[in-house]
Amino acid sequence: MEPLNRAIDIESRRMELRGVVRLAGEVIAQYWPMRTFVHHNPLHSLEYLPFEETVRRGKQFMGGSGYLPSCQYRAYYAAGRIRQEDLDIALKPLACESQVLIGSQKLTHADVLRACLIEGLCDPIVEPLDTQLPDASQELIDSLAKKLLLVMPVRDLSKRIEAIVQDDVADLGRWLTLSHWCDDTLGTHIVQQINDQLIKWCEAFLDEGHATWAMPEREKGMYQAWKTIAAHEWSPCGIVDSGRKISALPNHPEDALLESLDALGIPSDLRQDYLSLQLTALPGWAGFIKWRGEERDYPWQQSYPAGLVKFLAIRLWYARELVQKACREELGIDGRFEAVIAYMRSQPEEYYLRRQRVAGRLPALYAEEVDRLTHQRGTGWSAVLQRYRTEVVPRQQEAARKGMAKRLVALARSFETDPAALTETSTDILKQVIEWMEAFPESDHGPIWLKALERGYQVNLLTQLHRPKDRQPTTDASHATSARPYSQSVYCIDVRSEPFRRHLESTGAHETYGFAGFFAAFIRYRAWGKEHDTEQFPVIMRAKNEVREIPRSYLDHKVSTHQTRTKWVHAGHTLLHDLKENVVTPYVMVESLGWFYGIPIFGKTLLPSLYRRWTAWMQRLFVPAIATTLTVDKLAPADTAEMVAAEQQAIVRKALQEQLGLRSSRMTPALVESLRQHALSGSDEPDQPLLQAAAQAGLSKDTLVGLTDVLRRQYELNARAASHHKERITRTGFTLEEQTITVDTALRMMGLTKNFARLVLFCAHGSTSDNNPYESALDCGACGGNEGKPNARVLAMMANNPQVRARLTKNGIEIPSDTHFIAGQMDTTTDAVQLFDLEDVPPTHRADLARLQEDLHEAAELTSQERCARLPDVVQPLPGYKARAHVRTRSTDWSQVRPEWGLSGNAAFIIARRELTKELDLGGRVFLHSYDYREDPTNRLLEVLLTAPQVVAQWINMEHYFSTTDNDVYGSGSKIYHNVVGRLGIMSGPWSDLRLGLARQTVMNGEVPYHEPMRLLTIIEAPRERIDKLIGRHEVLQHYYHNQWVHLVVFDPGDAVWYRYDPKGMWNVIS
Amino acid sequence: MTEGTLIPWLLAGIPLLGVLASLPFRSDPERLKWSAIVWGVICLGSVVGFAGQVAMPPEGLLPLYLLPLAAIISILGQPVYEEHGPSWMLTLLILGLGLSVVSSPSPLSLLSLTLLLILIAVLLYRHHSALWPRSWWGIGAYSLGAAFAVVSVAADPPLSSVASLVACAVLLPLVPFHDGHLTALTRLPGSLPSFIVVLLPVAGLHRLVATMPTVPDSVAWTVSLFALLGASYGALKALAQSRVRLLLAYGSLSFFSIVWWFAAASRMVTPRSALLVGTIGLATSGLMIGWQVIRTRYGDDVDPQAISGLATGMPHYAVLLSLLALAAMGLPPFGVFAGFMGLLLSSPFPSLFGLFVTLLAWLAASWYIMQMVQRLLFGVRRPELRYTDLLRTEMASLLIVVLVLLALGLAPATLFTPEGMLLGTAPTGEWPTWNR
Repeated sequence: MEPLNRAIDIESRRMELRGVVRLAGEVIAQYWPMRTFVHHNPLHSLEYLPFEETVRRGKQFMGGSGYLPSCQYRAYYAAGRIRQEDLDIALKPLACESQVLIGSQKLTHADVLRACLIEGLCDPIVEPLDTQLPDASQELIDSLAKKLLLVMPVRDLSKRIEAIVQDDVADLGRWLTLSHWCDDTLGTHIVQQINDQLIKWCEAFLDEGHATWAMPEREKGMYQAWKTIAAHEWSPCGIVDSGRKISALPNHPEDALLESLDALGIPSDLRQDYLSLQLTALPGWAGFIKWRGEERDYPWQQSYPAGLVKFLAIRLWYARELVQKACREELGIDGRFEAVIAYMRSQPEEYYLRRQRVAGRLPALYAEEVDRLTHQRGTGWSAVLQRYRTEVVPRQQEAARKGMAKRLVALARSFETDPAALTETSTDILKQVIEWMEAFPESDHGPIWLKALERGYQVNLLTQLHRPKDRQPTTDASHATSARPYSQSVYCIDVRSEPFRRHLESTGAHETYGFAGFFAAFIRYRAWGKEHDTEQFPVIMRAKNEVREIPRSYLDHKVSTHQTRTKWVHAGHTLLHDLKENVVTPYVMVESLGWFYGIPIFGKTLLPSLYRRWTAWMQRLFVPAIATTLTVDKLAPADTAEMVAAEQQAIVRKALQEQLGLRSSRMTPALVESLRQHALSGSDEPDQPLLQAAAQAGLSKDTLVGLTDVLRRQYELNARAASHHKERITRTGFTLEEQTITVDTALRMMGLTKNFARLVLFCAHGSTSDNNPYESALDCGACGGNEGKPNARVLAMMANNPQVRARLTKNGIEIPSDTHFIAGQMDTTTDAVQLFDLEDVPPTHRADLARLQEDLHEAAELTSQERCARLPDVVQPLPGYKARAHVRTRSTDWSQVRPEWGLSGNAAFIIARRELTKELDLGGRVFLHSYDYREDPTNRLLEVLLTAPQVVAQWINMEHYFSTTDNDVYGSGSKIYHNVVGRLGIMSGPWSDLRLGLARQTVMNGEVPYHEPMRLLTIIEAPRERIDKLIGRHEVLQHYYHNQWVHLVVFDPGDAVWYRYDPKGMWNVIS
Repeated sequence: MTEGTLIPWLLAGIPLLGVLASLPFRSDPERLKWSAIVWGVICLGSVVGFAGQVAMPPEGLLPLYLLPLAAIISILGQPVYEEHGPSWMLTLLILGLGLSVVSSPSPLSLLSLTLLLILIAVLLYRHHSALWPRSWWGIGAYSLGAAFAVVSVAADPPLSSVASLVACAVLLPLVPFHDGHLTALTRLPGSLPSFIVVLLPVAGLHRLVATMPTVPDSVAWTVSLFALLGASYGALKALAQSRVRLLLAYGSLSFFSIVWWFAAASRMVTPRSALLVGTIGLATSGLMIGWQVIRTRYGDDVDPQAISGLATGMPHYAVLLSLLALAAMGLPPFGVFAGFMGLLLSSPFPSLFGLFVTLLAWLAASWYIMQMVQRLLFGVRRPELRYTDLLRTEMASLLIVVLVLLALGLAPATLFTPEGMLLGTAPTGEWPTWNR
């Protein structure tokens, strides 16, 4: 009974720990592999908290700043981007009614706060003890500083030390790990050492085929693989006898983690925070492991399991060993939580001096004295502190007074008041002003600046949208445009579609619509000739249908040639790769083939466009493209069974030949079919017909039994595999009902239910760039970071299906028989639009098609021109043809760190009819989703829009926001230093955390942000009561609007008035 | 001849006159500074003007030119700050004594040297701090140097040679007499350290010219050993330093030890040695002025660990400091490289081991100097620091050092010395020749 209880106890502890780790992991965001870059909020898991609180936590856990530096906001102010009016409104909740008189100038509290913002009076600058820089106001500052002696209280050093100890005791475990504490107190580099080790192991273990020599033992899982291999390392990080210690660790990662937590003495109530801190030390790798841990079907995860518990078990082993070593060697205490607390409380003076020394806050001579005491294990800490108290502290206080005097002088100057008046001002007034300034430290400025920045943009946008009555969108359902447009085209909601749509509409009677780029087709897609599927839907969704690209049936005779050539090309690539990666061959290869690499090097560098055309021509020559179609229709059950049977029969034939050497002439259909049935039946004894067929082929019963066993095991011909295969096939394509629902939903959501044009284009988007690991970040986020081409083709094929149209007619959507849907894709880097499946366009529509293509071309040229004007290295406005050439060259230039701006600049999401935004230049900053509330009486469509596309837009917005405010922490730094690691992500240089977020070049234009970091503004055209209901129903919407992650503005068609939704859930009229 | 005798008095007298002329400006730091600079320039002008009329010292005229130049840049690089006033006047005073040491005949030279060493010892005593007990070693070293300078005259050979050698080892620092050098560079105030790092080694080299050929072989061998030890010790200690002035002191000790090793190996001092000593001193002086720029902004006591990210906030400073660092670590095309290569290619070296050690010490400089520069210039930009780029005078001072180091690296070796002296023979040619 005892062992059983113990086992239960262990298991319950493990379960409890797994729960703690799951909660601890909330502070880090998942990290999707680079090939399907997913824009997301790096603090997504904390969206249940108010925005400002989350930013604070991000600062504490990850060290990232959630606001731009104040100097940048001041630059916006100086440039007029932030207006004083907006700043005053943002300051209003902070300002009280009080005012003071300095000289003849009356200053209100708000004036002082504004001056603090604009003049940078509250910068956290530490005044040096003896600045020697010349200052014209030095005399004034000195006399004012003397006066401040009466105003600024002198804080006793002992009390300061006591407060520091108390704060650090409170922070230990919550905001500070023991490793950090050692680094801050003892000057060790434990966190860096642990990170280096973890980076090494993560890089090796999580590799997805990049490494030529893969890490062995990975199939055992991350923890076991590390345990097996690290035990052979010689003293990593100076840990003595590491091999024996690692070998002695428990086999379960949970047990090892618990053991380490116990060894460090972390109290149970602090463990979640403590583990969070450990994870945020390497948020990139930890984020990827978190993602992998949640993706159980991911093939790499199935083969080599990894998880946060395993990661933490490894990390904390290093932590416990190194902390123990440092504390023992430097302080002679145990490296345990309670021992460290006791040390801080019993030796506050030594602790204070050590911390000041490590932080570089001691004068040089004192620093050396502290070093001497440290090395000699001296006992003279009190004497040093006493000297410090008498010699340094008074100088510090004087420096602080001078610093404050400088601020007061700057404040007076900002109001064009003679600073000399300050010396005449009473100490009470000075004290009041100082208190105001000190109560508004620079760390509190970010939210105010942000609100002012956002308000300026929102006012401009709403002014644009708030047009005169006669130009406002009509709310009358009967007032629909009756003239049939040349074409209607549907684009992704992506902000890059907005300029293109505007320009296309300007070329003629084209109507455009915005819709999430996956076009309501949740598909897993496999392109022709590819071995892997891509997931063509937002990552927050799941797909149940698969679609494959297959050659068109009339090209059967060309398929085998195409396949053979593809195989040869593939073999050539493989050979070249193997020659490059082999131990010996590179020596020979460099000499013999190295010269050929000069062609691409010079071609890509000197003549990128020409080289690109040349390689495309070569590719067409060797492996010409082949016209394809998609498997949109689902197979009937009988067809599925037949297909499965045919594939299984082929397997049986193969097995007969490979295992028994039977020639095909002796494989009768009866034998093959009987054998297949027998393998699937699961019975051990062959039945009579099988025995007869086998006898005819000269096979004995024993041979047959053996073969059956091999078929089941080796060739996976068994009932379970067959069922799985069949299920997989049945997932391919859509039933007629599914197709109808998909098309119906899509058309209704985008508001395209009547007045269809002769041509309707579903235009997806993708991008072209070279040498760009962030390529998928430029593709369609709604398609899981892939190109949206398959989705557009699927929807067009469904919408062209006469049976689907017949059913749609019954549902109230009547599509004229002369309306044809076509699929296309816009290249957001070159602005070119490519149309697909043109052989399906009826001959009657050739003229319409030609006109559409011509207008698309013109719109592309205008869009390129507009985009070129925003690119920093294009100085002059370019004519259309030059702009097109420029963007094409950019897309092929392998040295180009910024092929396009991507989604940078995004700021708002408008869910409304196109009439609201038509003819407005929104600067490529707005996500546009077409929505006609009149087509959505049940509110179902709006519900989808707010809980899906809005979520995607908010993720994109927040990814850009945080990558801009702190590119080093939330972004991925400069592209110049990027290295692809493990085919899954990016490191800076050869050794770093996996870099999160967007590259510096994506959001910054030199030192200035190109992307203005603002929270998303969602604008909806719909009745407010409907939106209230949805907010009440969905927690995600409450988090967004109440916690101020997203601003909500509504145009209520009922009273044609604009309303703003405030965080308390109230609607305020916008005047 | 009479004129030739008077010129050393004149050269030494001009800076001393400058001290007297500057006294009325004591209460006005700005005028005092400019007065000191003007007198430094007059002194430099007089050195250039009278250079042809003084007896050519065996190490050439370069040291003579460098002393007033070092004094000018040291004063120029200082901020206008009341507390620096005395150091500017002391710089002029020490310059006068230094010029007397280098250009005067023996009794006066010796007297000047003794006065110089005593003056520095007194200054060190005045700036002694209980937190830096090592000052006593420095004071002791300079006192010892002064005593041995006197002994070198009073005693008979070989004691006089050894005494003179010890005095030289205090001036041109050599382990174990290097504490004076370390203390002077770390404890003296204002413009003095950046000037003294040029002056004392140059004076030591000047004394060494006469001393080295007279020392017994066993002493030369011991010197050679200490030189190698000093080169390694200096480099290792520099690697371990976090304080900039100590790092520079140890780094320059390592480089000066290399000069000692060459001198001990060849038993002579050539103009190429002077080039190396002068450029090492000047490059170190430049880096000390560079560090003074930081102290001007963030206080005398600032810990270098608390400074980073200057490259973005102070771009002019970053460029000049980087160039100085390249020069100080002995990279071409600057003077330290030229001096080092000149000695390497022209001197016999008795052991490969010695050569290996000197090369390692040279290479180590790339590590500790770059590490220091990297730590200051790069890393995060700190919100608590106010970044103010170079003032005009600071820029001028650093720029002059960089340009002079560049010029010394590119100029022909015969520019400051007739070719014959360069080759160890009598002067034969009038025109400088390019030989590197």
